[in-house]
Amino acid sequence: MSEMTQYLILLLLVTGATNYFLRAFPFLLFGTAQKPPAAVTELGTLISPAAIAMLVVYCYCSCFKEISFADKFFGIAEWSAGIVVVLLHLWRGNPLLSIIAGTAVYMVMIQKIVPLLA
Amino acid sequence: MITKRVFNAAFKASLPVLMGYLAMGMASGILLAKTVSIPCLPLWAFLTSAVNISGAFQFLLVDWVKNTTVLFQVVLLTICLNLRYAMYGFSLLERFKKVPLLQKLYLIWALTDETYAIQVANKVPEGEDSVSYCLTVAALDHFYWFAGVTAGAIIGGSLPFNCQGIDFAMTALFLVVLVDQCKERINRMPAVIGGVIALIWGLTAGVDRMLLPAIPCVLVVLFLFRKKLLKEKTA
Repeated sequence: MSEMTQYLILLLLVTGATNYFLRAFPFLLFGTAQKPPAAVTELGTLISPAAIAMLVVYCYCSCFKEISFADKFFGIAEWSAGIVVVLLHLWRGNPLLSIIAGTAVYMVMIQKIVPLLA
Repeated sequence: MITKRVFNAAFKASLPVLMGYLAMGMASGILLAKTVSIPCLPLWAFLTSAVNISGAFQFLLVDWVKNTTVLFQVVLLTICLNLRYAMYGFSLLERFKKVPLLQKLYLIWALTDETYAIQVANKVPEGEDSVSYCLTVAALDHFYWFAGVTAGAIIGGSLPFNCQGIDFAMTALFLVVLVDQCKERINRMPAVIGGVIALIWGLTAGVDRMLLPAIPCVLVVLFLFRKKLLKEKTA
């Protein structure tokens, strides 16, 4: 077996174990308990909205990574697509419609319109 | 038992992920094929993506393979990158409590940002079982991911059509779930707390380093103010 193959096998095992451990962590701590402590259950209900909001901010920060703050049209594609998603979702409440429309707006903006502005 | 209704609902909910994962997965598979030359490359693309099911991770992995990075460092980087996975489970403890062991092990394995978001939204058809719905979503998303990465590794060239920006589907998915969550009063303050703290760290530490410090901060704030935040329920 070549050195590279050995490295790849180890890499696969090590990363797989690390990621599984991270995902299983709360279940390892409290999964077998008859009833997890009340504080954990309470924290659990508060985590979902906070985590989703963090993901939204994280996605936006990733989008903005390559754009300069000084740009006159800073983040115009991201903002307009995001506004389309939110408004459309508040109006129609159809997740698929909101997501596909917002993504289409973003793709058109970033492929066709932003290059024209630059 | 996964009924046809559950499957259809899960498939519909997973469509945005289909778009995002295929595009992102293919991009990372192509990057791997272009960067390194190893024997049986598509097989390794398949194995690493099917086992880890993790987006940004799959891109970093390319660097690790290229430089044969020390495994100790790989573990540390993986933890920094994916610490958020350890947070999701806390909100799923109750829901997954009665799930049979093997199914639970799979749900844990297949937990990603996007799968988590769909499971939080939990749009199960009336009268159907939430666990089969979660399992179906998890399996579909899992499949999209390794299919995308493996296809990219096999193609190894550029994509046949211009799909720049299609990954916004993931951002849009999170936005939609956030809007739905915020319809309930009790979720609003936690969402503001998560968003603001993430933003502060994003602006100060930069996008690549923001989640590692932001996650403990959010958890501490939620924990300290949990009684107050939960009171909103009755307000």
